[in-house]
Amino acid sequence: MIVPLNHILLLSGLLFSLGMFCTLARRNLIMMLLGIEIMLNAAAVAFVGASLHWQQMEGQAIVIFILAVAATEVSIGLAAILVVYRRTDSVDPAMEAALWEKGGRP
Amino acid sequence: MAYQLAGFPFLTTLLLCCVAGLLAILCIPARHARAIKIVSAVFSGFTLIVSIYLFIAYDQQAGGFQFVERVAWIPALGIAYFNGVDGFALPMLLLTGIVFFTAVLTMWELELRVKEFFSLIFLLVTGVFGLFMSLDLFFIFVWFDVSLFPMYLLIAIWGSTRKEYGAMKLTLYLLAGSALILPAIIYLVVHSGSMTFDLLALMEGTRFTPAQQRIAFFMLYIGFGILAGVFPFHTWSPVGHVAAPTAVSMIHAGVLMKIGAFGILRVGIFLCPDGWQFWAPLMAVLATCGIVYGVFVGLSQTDLKYVIGYSSVSHMGIVGLGLSTMTIDGLNGAVFQMFAHGIMTALFFSSVGHIYDRTHTKAIAELGGLSRVMPRASSFFIIAALTGIGVPCLASFWGELAVFMSCVSVYPVAGALAIGALAVGALFMLRVVQKTCYGPPLEKFAGLKDITAALAVPRVILVSVIVLFGLFPGVLFDMIHTATMHLIGLR
Amino acid sequence: MQPATPLPLSLIVTAAALLLPLLAFGVIMLATRSRHRLSAAISIGAAGLSLIAAVYLLVQHWQMQAPLVFQTVWLVSGQMAIPIGILLDPLSLLMLTVVATISFLVQVYSLGYMAGDPGFGRYYGCMSLFAWAMLTLTVSSSLLQLYIFWELVGLASYLLIGFWFDKFSASEAGKKAFVMTRTGDVAFLLGLVLLWLQLGTLDIPVLTDPAAVAAALSPGMITLTALLIFGGIIGKSAQFPLLTWLPDAMEGPTPVSALLHSATMVAAGVYLFSRLFGYFSLSPTAMAVCLAIGTISMLLASSMAMVARDIKQVWAFSTISQLGFMLMGLGSGSLFAGVFHLTTHAGFKALLFLCAGVLIHRFHTNDMFEIGRLGGRRLKATVVCMIVGAAALSGLPPFSGFFSKEMILGQLLASGHPTAFLAALLGAFLTTYYAFRLIFILLFPLETDDAGHADGHGAHHGAWGERAMIAVLVCLAGVTVVLGFFEMSLHDFLARGLALDEAAPAHFTWLPMVAGTLAVAAVLQAWFEFGRKKARQIGWVERIPILADLFGQRWYLDRLYRYLLDTLVYRGVSRLFTANDRRVIDGALDGLGRSTIGLGRVVDWVHGGMIQYRLMIMVAAVILLILFIGWGG
Repeated sequence: MIVPLNHILLLSGLLFSLGMFCTLARRNLIMMLLGIEIMLNAAAVAFVGASLHWQQMEGQAIVIFILAVAATEVSIGLAAILVVYRRTDSVDPAMEAALWEKGGRP
Repeated sequence: MAYQLAGFPFLTTLLLCCVAGLLAILCIPARHARAIKIVSAVFSGFTLIVSIYLFIAYDQQAGGFQFVERVAWIPALGIAYFNGVDGFALPMLLLTGIVFFTAVLTMWELELRVKEFFSLIFLLVTGVFGLFMSLDLFFIFVWFDVSLFPMYLLIAIWGSTRKEYGAMKLTLYLLAGSALILPAIIYLVVHSGSMTFDLLALMEGTRFTPAQQRIAFFMLYIGFGILAGVFPFHTWSPVGHVAAPTAVSMIHAGVLMKIGAFGILRVGIFLCPDGWQFWAPLMAVLATCGIVYGVFVGLSQTDLKYVIGYSSVSHMGIVGLGLSTMTIDGLNGAVFQMFAHGIMTALFFSSVGHIYDRTHTKAIAELGGLSRVMPRASSFFIIAALTGIGVPCLASFWGELAVFMSCVSVYPVAGALAIGALAVGALFMLRVVQKTCYGPPLEKFAGLKDITAALAVPRVILVSVIVLFGLFPGVLFDMIHTATMHLIGLR
Repeated sequence: MQPATPLPLSLIVTAAALLLPLLAFGVIMLATRSRHRLSAAISIGAAGLSLIAAVYLLVQHWQMQAPLVFQTVWLVSGQMAIPIGILLDPLSLLMLTVVATISFLVQVYSLGYMAGDPGFGRYYGCMSLFAWAMLTLTVSSSLLQLYIFWELVGLASYLLIGFWFDKFSASEAGKKAFVMTRTGDVAFLLGLVLLWLQLGTLDIPVLTDPAAVAAALSPGMITLTALLIFGGIIGKSAQFPLLTWLPDAMEGPTPVSALLHSATMVAAGVYLFSRLFGYFSLSPTAMAVCLAIGTISMLLASSMAMVARDIKQVWAFSTISQLGFMLMGLGSGSLFAGVFHLTTHAGFKALLFLCAGVLIHRFHTNDMFEIGRLGGRRLKATVVCMIVGAAALSGLPPFSGFFSKEMILGQLLASGHPTAFLAALLGAFLTTYYAFRLIFILLFPLETDDAGHADGHGAHHGAWGERAMIAVLVCLAGVTVVLGFFEMSLHDFLARGLALDEAAPAHFTWLPMVAGTLAVAAVLQAWFEFGRKKARQIGWVERIPILADLFGQRWYLDRLYRYLLDTLVYRGVSRLFTANDRRVIDGALDGLGRSTIGLGRVVDWVHGGMIQYRLMIMVAAVILLILFIGWGG
């Protein structure tokens, strides 16, 4: 293996942090969704690296699984965002919270 | 022993009377208000009869707990449906029966949501009866909460004068109390060495170290003490009394406050005698504060019901003082005073309620001259006030006397202060009587009718009980004495 | 105590005498209140039977050697046993007779006085309540029982003073009387409880046995309890400093003033002192205090009486002063002098009040000048009776007051209290002065109104009521005239049952002369100022503005108490406590409620709708968890 495991884990960690920052800090639902995607992919990178390192195939299988989950998640997430956008003309999560405050809360 | 009965289950019958009354009321359509009232009166009359029977049938020679009934309920946790009464519980059952019956009769003219009102009252009283007869800590706690919860609705729906505030304050206060009681009970059960909630089993031997008893007693004292209107935790009671409708004030001040004192006695003192001994000086101090404080605050009230609320604080202070003396006379006097105060305050609230119904005001400054307009109604009020002052040959006097006598021997200063409060108490009561009943008849009340015969019945019952036990206090004292001797003998 | 010979009959008779008025009270209040004639008949019947019973007992036990005690237990609880019983000894028999007599006479008198009042039935009910409580008080066998009935007497007094409760002043006076006597009773009860704790019993025969008491109690404790009990006496007998309720109590109907507030109820304090005379005499301090309080009250009240214009007020002040006089006699160590004066005073003071009642009834005013102007002197029988009473009050021979007063004076001198003796002489002089001031004002008004005016008033209540009133007056006047001559036989009677320590009443041959001369001098002065033809009817006190003001304002005692009550109680403690309740306790509580809500708001913000905050908290939690595990691992 040419690339040492540590480097792969470092990359994965960096990616994860970026994704987390994106999710937590951006005031845009779509960007938050992207952040989540990035975090998922960071995990996938770590899985691939680990799978190569220990010569175990399960890691790669899980990556396939993650890709599938990510695809469904994005499709549902985007659909939800679309609905929200139609109702509020906004993709701001704070606006969403304000709406809940107003009367949506049970 | 999963199942144990001694004879006919009178105590369960008493509870079932309440439950049956509740069910019967629920079955009657709400539009038949009169039928609901009659059914309520009949079933509450039943409970009164059963409680009188129990009082008479109790074998004073034998003493101890009688009419015991016990059914294991959750054996794994040691919880049983376990009832029994002694000389402390019987006066309380009798008191509850009398106050319940008279309270139902007092509300004869109620028109708003009659069905709901009486069903909630029945639920409330079920809890009260249950608590007085239960010998299982778990059930004591459950009954305690059963009797608290209807109060909120009763005050918030049928009340007056800041009723939401009063109801909320009362409920929060009492729940805070129950939040102290439950941990204390669990603490005791956990440290008892065996998994049982059985009060009598827990009393056997010395199961708890003095340190444990101190912790548990303190929590129980404060928890139940809130309900008994112990000094710094009393402010819910005047507010609650003011807000509550007449019958609820009667039950509340007459019976519910006694639950607090009874709880201290039944759970606290029975299970933690060492804790009792340790905290007795504190109890005496708080009780004396309550006695003195109550009369002085009452002196400057402008609302009739507030005045009585504060007199309750003062009189319940006498109960607390009696409990704190740790003497036979003190305990006897305290329990007697619980009974006497219950009857007296029921009479007080029922007569004030009547005045309010007729004049539509409780402000002392707006009242006056009622003795001319409603001579009978105001004589009930005056008799209640005189009982509150502690005039001899009316019930309260004996309780106060016994408490003072034992208190001076144990805590001379507290005793002197409490006796001194008598003079202020007289000023405070007579001031109210003068402002409401005496003076020239007022123009605006000229057309008012005196109390009707139907409404006079409950008041007459209460007055006769006051006079009866005022002239023959021995009837009650002998009964209480059996239990006191039992308790002191155990220690 | 082994009861002596005629146990059952005496017991039954006494019990009947006590319980009949109670029965009458119950029946009247429950059933016959609205039927006036019947109520009066029941009450008077009960009082009459009580009187017969009392006289029977007195005659029966005239030669008694040892007191009779019947006792049973009212209530037992632990160490506390409350006995109820009857103690018949000369003292209680004498008092029983006095109370029953005056009760009966006053009730008969009230037939005329209260006729036509809407509360007639209630009046007789309360009178019966009083009669029951007072009679039982006199024969109480234990101090606790005495206290219980002492309180009940106070209750009856409250109800009767405030009888005309429409009047603000009447209800105010009733309240004042009850609260002030209650203040004294607090001390009484405290003393009682202390005594009970030390001695284990409150039976009067035990308490008055000096040997038993001295063995069980330290002298300090005896003094303390004696003084506390004396507090009760001060309250009930309206002595200094609790004397201001009695003048106000005159708001009640006049027969009530005659019965309760002069002859019997207020005398209960003095009676209690005589009852416990053996106990009090163990403490020289208590005796000295008693003497001092008696002297002060006597002088204060006499001074107030000199400027009063209200005829009832004069007699009320005079009552305080005479009660003080009795206490002086008792405090100087003579039981008989005090009790004898109590007896004679009951007679002549009731007489004076009832005479005043006739005048007030007729002329509808309490002002003595007004009554004089309207022609009070034309009611000949009444005025004669009143002169008899006033003469007795002044201690003029041969009326009853002369004998009892002279005995107290002699006793004061014999026991070595020269200051008190001089004060008593001064008091006697002032008493005579104000009594005859009143008489002369009535007899010799400065101007007179037309004659027909007065007669028009009295006619409308049936004549028999008036006749009953006059008959009662004549009875009492007769008693006042002759009672003094029974001094020796009464002394013998009392000496048989009680340890009267003086061999015979102290006699100074010159004393009657001095006292008599003083009294005559006082009468002459009163005549000079109020009676003679050209008198301007202004007393010497009124010529000194400071004194007139001081006396007229009752030495500012009332104002002082009112001020103290207002500032200390209403505006002080009461307001402070209320503020504490509202601000501190409720404030803290409401603050707690509000801060709970505030805290809820804060927590609410954290998990509000904003999804990213939730995430952030989640992440933070996970990081902390990792750190924690990393740390631990």
